Amino acid sequence: MLNFFQLILIYAGIYAVMAIGQNCITGYTGMLSLCHAGFFCIGSYATAIICKTFGLSFWISLPVAAIAAGLVGLLIGIPTLRLKGDYLCIATLGLGEIIRNIATNINPVGYNSIPRATLFGYQFASRNKLAFIILIWAFVLVFYILFQQLAHSRLGRAMIAVREDEVAAQSNGINVTKYKISSFVLGAAVGGIAGCLQTAYTLTVQPGSYTFMVSVMVLCTVVLGGMGNAKAVILGAFIIQFISYLPQLTGLTNVIPAQAKQLIYGLLLVVMMLCRPQGILGRDKYRYGDPRTRMEKFRDFFARPKKKAKGGEV
Amino acid sequence: MRKVIALLLVAFVCLAGVVAGGSGESSGDTYKIGFIGPLTGDNANYGIRCSNAARLAINEINADGGVDGKMLELIAEDSEGTVDKALAAYEKLAYMDEVCAIIGPVFTSPALAVAQRCQEDGIVMISPSATHKDVTAQPATNPDGLNYVFRTVPSDALQSEVAGHYFYEVLGYRKLASLYAMNDYSQGLALGMKETFEALGGQVVAEETCMVGDKDFRTQLTEIRAAAPEAVYIPNYTVEDALILEQAAQLGVNVPFLSSDGFSDPEIYNLAPDFTDGVIYVGPAQAEASSILADFQVAYSEAYNGDSPDSFATNSYDATYILAAAIDRADSADTTAIRNEVAATDDFQGANGTMNFAANGDLVASQGVYEVEGTTPVYVGAFQVVDGHIVQVD
Amino acid sequence: MGTLTLYMQYIVNGLTLGAIYSLIALGYTMVYGILKFINFAHGDILMVGAFIGLIIYNALTGGEAADPSAWTLIAFFISMLISMASCAVLGMVIERIAYKPLRNANRLAPLLSAIGVSFILSNGAAWIFGTQSRRFPYPFENTPIHIGGISITPHQIVMVVVSVAMMLLLTFFVNKTRMGKAMRACSLDQSTSMLMGINVNRVISLTFAIGSALAAVGGMLAAFDFRVYPSMGTMTGLKAFVAAVIGGIGNIQGAMIGGILLGILEAVGAPLLHIPNGMRDTVAFAVLIIVLLVKPDGILGKNEREKV
Repeated sequence: MLNFFQLILIYAGIYAVMAIGQNCITGYTGMLSLCHAGFFCIGSYATAIICKTFGLSFWISLPVAAIAAGLVGLLIGIPTLRLKGDYLCIATLGLGEIIRNIATNINPVGYNSIPRATLFGYQFASRNKLAFIILIWAFVLVFYILFQQLAHSRLGRAMIAVREDEVAAQSNGINVTKYKISSFVLGAAVGGIAGCLQTAYTLTVQPGSYTFMVSVMVLCTVVLGGMGNAKAVILGAFIIQFISYLPQLTGLTNVIPAQAKQLIYGLLLVVMMLCRPQGILGRDKYRYGDPRTRMEKFRDFFARPKKKAKGGEV
Repeated sequence: MRKVIALLLVAFVCLAGVVAGGSGESSGDTYKIGFIGPLTGDNANYGIRCSNAARLAINEINADGGVDGKMLELIAEDSEGTVDKALAAYEKLAYMDEVCAIIGPVFTSPALAVAQRCQEDGIVMISPSATHKDVTAQPATNPDGLNYVFRTVPSDALQSEVAGHYFYEVLGYRKLASLYAMNDYSQGLALGMKETFEALGGQVVAEETCMVGDKDFRTQLTEIRAAAPEAVYIPNYTVEDALILEQAAQLGVNVPFLSSDGFSDPEIYNLAPDFTDGVIYVGPAQAEASSILADFQVAYSEAYNGDSPDSFATNSYDATYILAAAIDRADSADTTAIRNEVAATDDFQGANGTMNFAANGDLVASQGVYEVEGTTPVYVGAFQVVDGHIVQVD
Repeated sequence: MGTLTLYMQYIVNGLTLGAIYSLIALGYTMVYGILKFINFAHGDILMVGAFIGLIIYNALTGGEAADPSAWTLIAFFISMLISMASCAVLGMVIERIAYKPLRNANRLAPLLSAIGVSFILSNGAAWIFGTQSRRFPYPFENTPIHIGGISITPHQIVMVVVSVAMMLLLTFFVNKTRMGKAMRACSLDQSTSMLMGINVNRVISLTFAIGSALAAVGGMLAAFDFRVYPSMGTMTGLKAFVAAVIGGIGNIQGAMIGGILLGILEAVGAPLLHIPNGMRDTVAFAVLIIVLLVKPDGILGKNEREKV
């Protein structure tokens, strides 16, 4: 049972990385994008091709995946980001489907027997889950800190301004297109890295895995946790993965049919949304011009949100 | 109100978990066998049939007193047809349930992922339907260097070679068209058949592709109609085959259709009863004068509300019996002992005829050819390719 | 066969596929027009409609072997009416339970709940009916008609006729009736409509009922071509949604045009560019993105200028 729980932690970590990327696009900048599966796919393939075809290290594939996914994000972002709301959603959904369709048509089997990642001579073998948990959650932590910093930076504040009101942002001298594109590219790059991590664990890449349902689930993760709140989306990723594997974790799948498992999953999604429409944690509440010292911030990071001092909320 | 509902739901899940956890622990005198396949999602039908067949076999064995007095227990886990879910299923079966062998996964890509882990952890895996050549080509990474991956389905290469030779040498076709889905199974067969067929001197005049789950094949069939082949090879799954046959008839593509073991699913005669006449397909060979297959089909139908098994379900049934026999001979739940006995399977008489495993775990068997008359497949015979020519073996 | 005939055949094929998409897109567009959210469960309601229709049709005609006759046609209409009614009720119930409490929440919250509903419906159906595909027998003779090298079946004609008829009916309803006027008012501004004495809850319920009934029609007509199985609605629903957006979401004629366009693109795109047909989705989606770039609000969508 502990072993299976570790697996959930691994998958939750991968989804958390993806959700952080999606959160940058949807949560901060307010763009409804549905192609994270596409970026995920690009990242997975980057690792597969670099490690298997070129025989290079997993670590080289990380920047390559980020750049490749970011580049695709940039290419598609420049023309489509002027679309609004659901039109953008469909354009990005189309992109996700195109990526999957092309990958399937090139090779429907994908890649298998991908060499394992190594670090200082240590091999990340799939059966040793603890190493993977450390690896993947290290990435989650790094991205969490990065994006938390980003949200409080000039760039992040500009993104949030774009989300709140494009016209007002523009009239305040914010280059809306520039920030939309940077947010999209950043989110895409992070999605690509999640793909690398997934491949490092599964060692098999299959184009059929990257359906639009994956994109939808990532979006749901963000909505469920709380949009624009990096801590919340990590929690959301954990909850989504946890409830999806709960029947297996408890051994319930030995007695109930598989459809019932999915049924419970659907029911839990509906109930959770009905109970917390704003997301489990809701939007991140923080103040501009944070007067806290670094130490206080560090303490607040672990403190419960309630204990935060009152200030101008956004 | 909402909180009450939420609490009730959580309580229900926890309770169910406790109940299940409690029931799962009394397992001292059973052999646990795992099953991995898609039980939900688009391709659930194949997984459910295979798991049903395995369950049927296990019930039969248990009704006969089990293996050395010990009962077999099947634990079926859902892969949803994807790699990550299949690995989760594997983790659960291998480490939580500690199964002594796994039947499945049903589709190639999950099978590839699980095969790597089975080789590493030393757990026997018998796939009933993963046809790609790489499935049995996974390096044995366990300390003993033994191969733990087997399959009761012929690899693409074997079936498509027989198909190509049969179409060229026996049926005498020179110009074929093919319409296949972009998945490992269909593409593997279509490309393999093409290679054999063109090496013999034939020509594939139109090669059309589609995606799995497509419902409209009219564009492809219109192109095939324009290419005017002598016959069309459609190595797809049942539903696609049924739609292709129907739409072909509507578009006036009046040439014979050739297919693969995906066609051996009797479901096709419910889905497209008016269009199956004259289809020739290559599928698993049948043992002469053996009623195992017929008995299995009857038993399956009775057990599962009149549903009929396809060839993959039949493979799964055979796999379960091979496994049970191996456990019997090994007389323990030790995975290495079971693996040695599975590998030592010698002329196993199953629903699909005589079966043996090659050193790499591939099935060694002849291929059967069937011709459909109306809605009844008629067995033509079993074939093998010997020295570049097709030979009827029985 | 001449190239022209070949392409005519592609267009005929695409037209039918497009008609199916349009019919489903109509339901999407109705719901979206009022609530501004993607009803992901729409495709699954379509599947439920097809299952109910099939079961009732088989019960009325006594199994699958029934030969087409006047009675099968009547039976088909009866089963379609029952299926429409049950789906309408189902749609209203889903709206009441899963979407209504979220009406004032953030815009994406109902999306998640819709996905939950979609999981429940498709897996519930798989549990009850099993996962195998079922054939929906034709209630009429479906002998293809050949006109100068082009084949067309009566079913294809029915498909196109029904979707055009539904589109016209819906346009009439929305533009000419009192209830339609109320719907248009709600889609513009719900709170103002409420102040004007419109029962917004009832309007939304009715919209879901109509949208779901349309899904049932779409499901039953698509079932001849697609077969009936629990996940039949997922991909079709997605394509229909794409069609609705391309046409200009919330616009009834737009949904029709978007659907037909998508169908024809799928049928003609790949052969026109001489690429494998497995890539037809790539072609279709690429063209759709281009269409959106040229017309950012869809083909018939209103260009809403943002106010400061």
